[in-house]
Amino acid sequence: MTAIAAAGLTKRYGRVLAVDGLSFSIEPGEIVGFLGPNGAGKTTTLRMLAGLVRPSRGGCRLLDRRVPGPSLREVGTMIEEPSFYPYLSGRANLRHAAILHGGVPERRLDEVLEFVRMERAADKRVRAYSQGMRQRLALARALLWKPKVLLLDEPTNGLDPAGIAEVRAALKTVAVQGVTVLISSHILPEIEKLVERILAVDKGSLRFDGPLQGLLGAVGVNTVSYELEAIDGRALLDALADMGLEPSPHGDAGARVAVPEARAPELLSGLASKGVKVLEARRGAVSLEDAYLRLVGAEGRPS
Amino acid sequence: MTGTMLAAVANVVRAELFKGFRKRRFYFLAGLYWVLLPAVALITATVLDHNLGGSFADQGGQIAQALQGFASPFGLARLALMAPALMSPTGYIIAVALFAGLFIGEERTQRMWKTVFSVQPARMAVLTGKVIAGMIVLAVLLGGALIVGTLAGVLGTLFLPTTFAGPWGQVAGLFGLQWLQLLAALLLAYLLVFLVRSGTLGIILVIFLPALLEGLYTVLNTLSVLRPLTRYNAVFQALRLRQAWQALPHYFFNANLYAPARHLLQPFLQSTGTPQGADLGPLGNLLGQGITLPHAAAVMAGYAVVFAAATAWLVARRDVE
Repeated sequence: MTAIAAAGLTKRYGRVLAVDGLSFSIEPGEIVGFLGPNGAGKTTTLRMLAGLVRPSRGGCRLLDRRVPGPSLREVGTMIEEPSFYPYLSGRANLRHAAILHGGVPERRLDEVLEFVRMERAADKRVRAYSQGMRQRLALARALLWKPKVLLLDEPTNGLDPAGIAEVRAALKTVAVQGVTVLISSHILPEIEKLVERILAVDKGSLRFDGPLQGLLGAVGVNTVSYELEAIDGRALLDALADMGLEPSPHGDAGARVAVPEARAPELLSGLASKGVKVLEARRGAVSLEDAYLRLVGAEGRPS
Repeated sequence: MTGTMLAAVANVVRAELFKGFRKRRFYFLAGLYWVLLPAVALITATVLDHNLGGSFADQGGQIAQALQGFASPFGLARLALMAPALMSPTGYIIAVALFAGLFIGEERTQRMWKTVFSVQPARMAVLTGKVIAGMIVLAVLLGGALIVGTLAGVLGTLFLPTTFAGPWGQVAGLFGLQWLQLLAALLLAYLLVFLVRSGTLGIILVIFLPALLEGLYTVLNTLSVLRPLTRYNAVFQALRLRQAWQALPHYFFNANLYAPARHLLQPFLQSTGTPQGADLGPLGNLLGQGITLPHAAAVMAGYAVVFAAATAWLVARRDVE
């Protein structure tokens, strides 16, 4: 069984092609990161998967059944900014959703509130909630009927670092239970810690679909990043340029540079041979953010 | 309708009522309608009875007859039905607009549609449930007015020369018919909110749009009388379009919508001395003279079908922002 499948998914708003023939499939239990710059078509794709927007062409299936259809009852969503009835408490909003969906026992409300650590604030009106509390409550609502698929659009928006870590842990927990998660986020280091697979879109088209390590390889990442500091920063930059690299200044007398992995061992000796006295050199792993920015080009910004 | 669909509709109705009865506007409106109206009627009746009862003006028990007309249990029940239809804009349309705002308009202003349709993806079930919830709340409002009015009238019998007598079956039937006819108004409100993509504008439109269109007709009708005969209006008349044009007010939304509530106004006027069949002038239009209850019910059923079909089409097809 395929949990999420899109085939030639296309959405056009007038002359604007928001999503252009997107095709992918996600197996049950996978956690997949959905990346793309602003306006890449991520939210429109999630809306089509959630049955909120009709595709102009193509279609999608959830749990091997057509969307829109009954399979949507097995889906939990957080699409864009969470919305609630502000005059109701958090618990009343959850109860409303539970009644609306049907088949949710009362004790489940307490379970999800505890899961997102919102038990204490549950009886306050939502209009008094912070952005982070609204995000947590939206996650609780998405989990209310124990969905088999979660479609999450920027679920950690507005959360503090501790909240982000909690949401990450919560999502890992639900994934262990066999829930399929498709998550878009602009906090790329978070995606990196959470997902096994990346779907990267740009200008409505799929640019990459594969495991995280595959994305690093796909953008020519047999490179290693270095942060260097020398006595003479100008000389350091010139020497790196002479070696055919593309350094960028960093601090007063430092530079950042990406070096092909095969050439990494000769970096320091090469600088020494050019008379550059290196005070400090830090080697870093290539991050998802680096790889992603290369994939979407200079104009691409994480969204 | 399948069992799944019925279960979904029932869930939507329960959820909407859960939400609706937590909204203060319902209690505010109910308070005004249930309490204020009988209170004012009883105070007026008491003053009238105290000042004029047994005086020279009370020849032949006219004061007692008038008090029985508006301050008896039956009189207050009748008043609860009639009074909202005689306001401008009517109390009924204000209630419909407020409930449409609660059940449909709010989903737009609070950006809740994406949540509602994610939680309950059966869109037709959502729409049907919201319509039923709206009708239930209207039933509570009207039923409450009937009960509170009656109880206030019973209270009045303790200190006023009024009795429980009256054609109760008729007034209860008219309450029921008025409630049923409000379905068309509720559907119009839902349709307008969807159509204009604005909760506030939709609510304002439902109050003023029918009256605006009907007013426009009146202006055009007047202008057409003043126009000299041309080949165009000769054709217009030859095709008997004029008769249809003249008959149009019989199909107006407002004239038919409030027909049950205004039906009791004429007997009420007779009870206060107005002779039957008298030319009531502009008041005749207000009473919907010439519009029978079956005609009004049929016209409003037609409106309801059209509004329901259009709303269902919009709800099923429209992308959720």
